[in-house]
Amino acid sequence: MGCCWSSCKEDSSSQGGDAHERTHLLVDPVSNNTPAQRANSDDFISRYPNSVPKKTDEQSALSRILQETATNVIDVAALDSHNLEQHEYKERTKQYQQRLMQGTGQRWNLPAPTLLIDIPMPEKVLSSLPLSFTDLDLISATVQSINGALEELKVEHKEDLVVPFRIP
Amino acid sequence: MAEEMKKYLKQLLSKVDNLLCILITDRDGVPILKAVNEKCPELAMRPNFLTTFAMATDQSSKLGQGRNKTIICMYSSYQVIQMNKLPLILNFVATADCNTGHILSLEPLIEPLLGELRGAVIES
Repeated sequence: MGCCWSSCKEDSSSQGGDAHERTHLLVDPVSNNTPAQRANSDDFISRYPNSVPKKTDEQSALSRILQETATNVIDVAALDSHNLEQHEYKERTKQYQQRLMQGTGQRWNLPAPTLLIDIPMPEKVLSSLPLSFTDLDLISATVQSINGALEELKVEHKEDLVVPFRIP
Repeated sequence: MAEEMKKYLKQLLSKVDNLLCILITDRDGVPILKAVNEKCPELAMRPNFLTTFAMATDQSSKLGQGRNKTIICMYSSYQVIQMNKLPLILNFVATADCNTGHILSLEPLIEPLLGELRGAVIES
């Protein structure tokens, strides 16, 4: 008891300036505070209403943790929890049909057709009649005349290709 | 407009051999647009079968490998491919010997339809 007393008792000599084993290394923050700094808690709440921790904050933090856990947990039991009623299903199908009929008037853009096109039944295409000779002649004659016309295209040279700038 | 879309979907359906149905549904498996072959099994188009995908894709997105996009289920006689286009789901049902890659390549061709269909779902 005596030992406890001696250690808890405030030693008057510690205030004197001489350092010994009972001297506090840190000065007592509470006793050094001036009365002006000690603000009343009510003043504090009125001055900083948003920074004061409230009970609701704690609640929301807890619910946030709960929600995060729920989103991260892989819940296999929830896989077959929700089923639509038959009438609800029919109603919604009808609703979608109506909406599609109305449409937004916006034209949906199809992707550009590609050169290679899939053919579901190639045997039909392959067994179809070949191109007639008259058509073939027409195609080759047209292609030849187009080719000839292209070859006759010439660039007429009128002005100098390289124009020197007037550099002083 | 809906007719036009349906026609386009039918065209896509005929492009792939042994593809039996293309079904665009909402999260709950309610069909919005479909192109169905007469050989398509009725059971594969039931909403309670289709809606399991919406749950499965949500849960499997938590496995730490990013968001789940497509689930391919191979059965002994059929294959079911479902794509996550939430709030829409893209469902394909085909026979087991159908070329899966060929079905997957239809995705960009169906994509232009989805914008319009999404509008119909979001409003609800």
